[in-house]
Amino acid sequence: MTRKPFKWSVAMDHTILILGAIFMVGPVLLVFLTSSYDDIEIAKTGLQFGWGDKFVQNWNNALNETSGFTGTINGWVMLKNSFILGIGFALGKIVISMMAAYAIVYFRFRFAVPAFWVIFTTLLLPLEVRILPSYEITQQMGLVNTYTGLIIPLIASATGTFFFRQFFRSIPEELVEAARIDGAGPVKFFIDIIVPLSRTMIAAIFIIMFVYGWNQYLWPTLITTEEGLFTLVRGIKQIMFSFTDGNTIPEFGVAMALAILAMLPPVLIVIFFQSWFVKGLVDSDK
Amino acid sequence: MTARTFALGAALSFVAGAAFAETEITWWHAMSGQLGETVNQIAADFNASQDEYSIVPVFKGTYEETLTAGIAAFRAGEQPNIMQVFDAGAATVIAAQGATVPVQDLLSDNGYDFDINDYIAGVRYFYADADGKMIGMPFNSSTPILYYNQDALDAAGVTAPVTWEEFQTVTAPALKDAGYTPLSQSHMPWIFTENFFSRHNLQFATNNNGYDGADAQILINQPEIRDHFTAFKGWVDTGLAGYYGTGWGDNATPFENGEVAMWLGSSGSFGGLVQKVDFPFSATLLPYWEGVTTQPTQTFIGGAALFAMSGKSAEENAATAAFFSFLTSEDVQYQWHQSTGYVPITNAAYDTAKADGHYDRFPAAEVGIQQLSLEAGEWTRGYRMGFYVQIRDVMNREYGRIMTGETSVEDAFANIETEANALLARFAQTQN
Amino acid sequence: MKRAGFASPWMPFLLLLPQLSIIVVFFYWPALEAIRTSFYLEDPFGFGSTFVGWENYWQLFSSSEYMRVARFTLVFTVLVTFLSLGLALLLAAKADKVIRGASTYKTLLMWVYAIAPPVAGFLGVMFTHQRFGQFTDLAAFFGYDYVVGVNFNDTAFAMILTAVWKQVPVNFIFFLSGLQSVPRAVQEAAMIDNRSSASRFWTVTFPLLAPTGFFLLITNITYALFDTFGIVDTIVRGEPGNNPMTLVYKVYVDGFRGSDLGGSSAQSVILMVLVLALTIFQFRLIDRRIHYT
Repeated sequence: MTRKPFKWSVAMDHTILILGAIFMVGPVLLVFLTSSYDDIEIAKTGLQFGWGDKFVQNWNNALNETSGFTGTINGWVMLKNSFILGIGFALGKIVISMMAAYAIVYFRFRFAVPAFWVIFTTLLLPLEVRILPSYEITQQMGLVNTYTGLIIPLIASATGTFFFRQFFRSIPEELVEAARIDGAGPVKFFIDIIVPLSRTMIAAIFIIMFVYGWNQYLWPTLITTEEGLFTLVRGIKQIMFSFTDGNTIPEFGVAMALAILAMLPPVLIVIFFQSWFVKGLVDSDK
Repeated sequence: MTARTFALGAALSFVAGAAFAETEITWWHAMSGQLGETVNQIAADFNASQDEYSIVPVFKGTYEETLTAGIAAFRAGEQPNIMQVFDAGAATVIAAQGATVPVQDLLSDNGYDFDINDYIAGVRYFYADADGKMIGMPFNSSTPILYYNQDALDAAGVTAPVTWEEFQTVTAPALKDAGYTPLSQSHMPWIFTENFFSRHNLQFATNNNGYDGADAQILINQPEIRDHFTAFKGWVDTGLAGYYGTGWGDNATPFENGEVAMWLGSSGSFGGLVQKVDFPFSATLLPYWEGVTTQPTQTFIGGAALFAMSGKSAEENAATAAFFSFLTSEDVQYQWHQSTGYVPITNAAYDTAKADGHYDRFPAAEVGIQQLSLEAGEWTRGYRMGFYVQIRDVMNREYGRIMTGETSVEDAFANIETEANALLARFAQTQN
Repeated sequence: MKRAGFASPWMPFLLLLPQLSIIVVFFYWPALEAIRTSFYLEDPFGFGSTFVGWENYWQLFSSSEYMRVARFTLVFTVLVTFLSLGLALLLAAKADKVIRGASTYKTLLMWVYAIAPPVAGFLGVMFTHQRFGQFTDLAAFFGYDYVVGVNFNDTAFAMILTAVWKQVPVNFIFFLSGLQSVPRAVQEAAMIDNRSSASRFWTVTFPLLAPTGFFLLITNITYALFDTFGIVDTIVRGEPGNNPMTLVYKVYVDGFRGSDLGGSSAQSVILMVLVLALTIFQFRLIDRRIHYT
C-alpha cells in the first residue's frame, strides 16, 4: 500500500489551498453578509458573520435611493457610468492600439521605429505622477464632466499597442505574402485576415482592459464633478467620507452593498471568461 | 449649456406664462452627508425665493480637493462662481489677489448694504485682508468647544472644567475613577495649536500673524504650547485622556459611545451629536491654562468661507451677490445654525435664535458664539500662512509621533518650526 | 517590422494618428509640463512664479520627511513583492499538484484580481478598524494592542496586508501557467532522480520558473509603487498625519492636496527617472527571457 504516506501530503496540499481560498474569498463574503445588517449594528460590531434582516432595504437603498442636489445619482446610474467607462476604455484602447500596431508591424516606412519608441515610452509614466498637468490640460480642452474626458486620457498608454505588436509579429510571414500575391491591399488584409486571427486575443485584451477601466479611481474622482457621471468605484470615495467627517452615522449597510456592486461585474467577467482572461494576461506580457 | 438654460426658460415660461432668462451660477462645496443635504436645501430655497437667478451646488470632495479643483479650474478659466475654501486654505486664495472678488465689494457694488459690524465679533476678520476688508464670506463657522457627557460628570461628581489645571487635578482623576476615559480631542492643529494661541492671546506668527505679508515666520516653538503637549502626553499615558489618531471620527466615536466623558470638537458637531448620542450632553468653553493667562480671550472661527471667483460676468456676479445676501439673512442663518450647529454669522441671526428660545432648549448650541464673542486680544483675529495645508500635515505628523513616543515634545516642535518656516519661505517665493 | 510589408506613403501615418495624437496631448504634454514646473515655485492660481532652478529637487533630498517616505516605500515595495510572490508561488505549486478540485481552487484564488484597489482598501479599513476590526480583535486576543492610524507600523501593516491580498491572484495566475507549461518529460525525469518533492521543486521546477519570476518581480515592484494608490488613499482616509505613505501618494498629497506645484512636480520627475530605470532593467530581462525559451 503506497497510498498511505502519500495521502498526508495531499491532505496538506488541500489544507494550504483551502486556507488560501479562505484568505482570498473570506473578506468579500463577510462584506456581502454584512450588507444584510442594520447600520447601527455594523457601527457597533463591524463586519458580521451571520445573516441580518436588512438585506433588501440596504440593497434597495444602494441601487435606488437618489442623493445629491440634482437627485440624479443612484446605484443604477453609477453602474451605468462604470460600464461606459469600462467598455469605452477597452474598445478605444483596442481600436487605436490595433491600428498603431498594424502600422508598425506591416508597413515599411522610415518612421516605424521612432513611432514605436514614442509610443513605448508612455509605459514609463503612470497617470498618477502626471496627474496635475493632465487634469489641467483636460480642463483646458473643456473635457471635464464628459465621458470623453473620462476615457480618452486614460487610453494614452502603450500597453495595448505593445501587446498587439508582439502578437502580429508571431503571425507567419507567408500570410502577408500570399495576400499580396492575391492582390489584397492593406485594408482588406487587415479586415479579412488580421482581425479574425486576433479574435481570441481581442477578447482577452478586452477583458483585461475592461477590468482596468472599471477599476479606475483617481482620474474619475478628479474629472467628474457632475453627480450624473459618478462611477461606482468613485462612489467608494463618498462612502469613505462618512467614516471621516463624523457628522452622521455612516450608512454602513449601503456602503457594503455598494462595495459588492462595484466588484460584481468585473469579477463575474473574469470568472466566466477565465480561460481567455488567463491567456490574455499571461501572453500579453511575453 | 445655453441650450439647456433656454429650454429651461422656455419650459418655465410655458408654466408661468412669462419669459424669464435665469442667470445660473455654480457653487462648489465640500459639505458631505447631512451637511450636504442642508446645503442643497439652502440652494433650493434660494432658487424658489426668486426667479431671476438659480444656483447649482456641486459637492467636490474634501476641503482640500475642493480647493485644488477650484484652482485648476481657475487656471483653465472654468472656475465656479462661488467656491468654499476652508480655514487652512484661506491664505492661498486670499494671497492670489485677482482670483476672487472681495465679498465686501461684491455686495456693495450690487447695491446691498454691508457693515462688517453686523457680523459677530469672532467671525469678522478671519477671512479679511490686512486692512480689515472682508474677502471671503464666512459660511460654516465653528470654533472648538468642550462637549461633556452629563451622566459621566454626575457619576464622577464633578462639573466641566474651566481650566486645564482643574481638569488635571480634579475633573480627570474623578472621571477616571468613575470608569471613563476623561478626554479626547479631534483635531490637534486646530484645537491644541491655532486656538490654543488665540485662547491664551499668544502670537502665532510674525508679520501680524501673517496678515501683513507672505514672508512670515511661524512662532510655534513656544514654552506655553510645549508645556501643553507635555501635559497632554502625560494625561494619555496615565489614562486621563485618550488619543485615537489623526482622524476626526476616530476620536469622536468613543465619546459618542459613552466611553470618553469629554470631547473637544467643533461647535458645528452639535447637530450631528443631537442625532447620534443617547445620553444627556452639553458643552462649555475651551479650557485654558491659568498658569499662562488669567484673562483668557476669544477663539477664532474654523470651518470654511465662500469666495466669489473673479472673471465672471456682471449678471453672474449680481446673482452671486443676491445669493450671499440671501445666505446672510436672519432666517437662513438661523435655519443653518439650528440644523447644523454651525454658528450664525450675523448678530441679527444670533438675536433671532435667542428670541426664539433656541438656547433655552439647547444651551450647548450657544457655547460657540459665546466663545467667539469673548474679549478680543491682539492675537485673536486669526492667522494667515501659505502652504498651511502642508504645515498642518507636518503638525499632525509630529504630534502623532509625540503621542506614540517616537519623538520628544522638544524635538517635535523644533521640527515643526523648521519645516513650517521652510514651507512659508517657499510660499513667499510663489508670490513674486 | 515584417520583412514583407506593405508600402504606402500615407496609410501608416493615418493608422498611427489616433494613438499618437492622444499620446502627445495626454502624455507628452503633461509630462513636459511637469518637468517645466519642477524648476519653478508657482502661485497655485497662476499669478506669480519664480524660477528656482534645482531648488525643488535639493529641498526634497534634504527633507528628512521625503527620505522617510522613500524609505517606507522601499520597505513597502520589498515586503509586498516578496510576500505576494511567495504566497502565490506556494498556492500555485499546490494547485498544480492536486488533481481533485483543481479548477475550483484556481477560480477561487484568482478572481480577487478584478477588485478595484480602493474597494480592497475599504475591506482593509473594515478589517483593521480601531473599534470593530476583526484583525484588531485577533491581535487583542494575542495580547497586542493594535491601533491603526495611531501606530505607524500598525497602519503600515494594514496597507501591506491589503496590497498583498490584492496582488496574490495575478502572481498566482502567472506561476500556475508557468508550472503547467513545464514539460512532462522534465517532470518525469525529475521524479526518477529526486525522491523528495520539496527538493524536486527547488532543484527542477523553481529554476524553470525563474524567467516568470523575474518578470513578475518587475510587475510587482511597479504595482507596489503605483497601483497601490487607491489602497493607501482609503486606508489613510485623506489625513496623512503620522501614517505611512508611498512616494506616489506624496506627489498627490503635496501637489493635489497642498497646492505645492513645483515641489510635487519635482517628485513626479524623480519617479519618472525611477520608472525609466526599472523599464530599462525590464527590457534587459525580456531580452534574456526570449533567449531562454
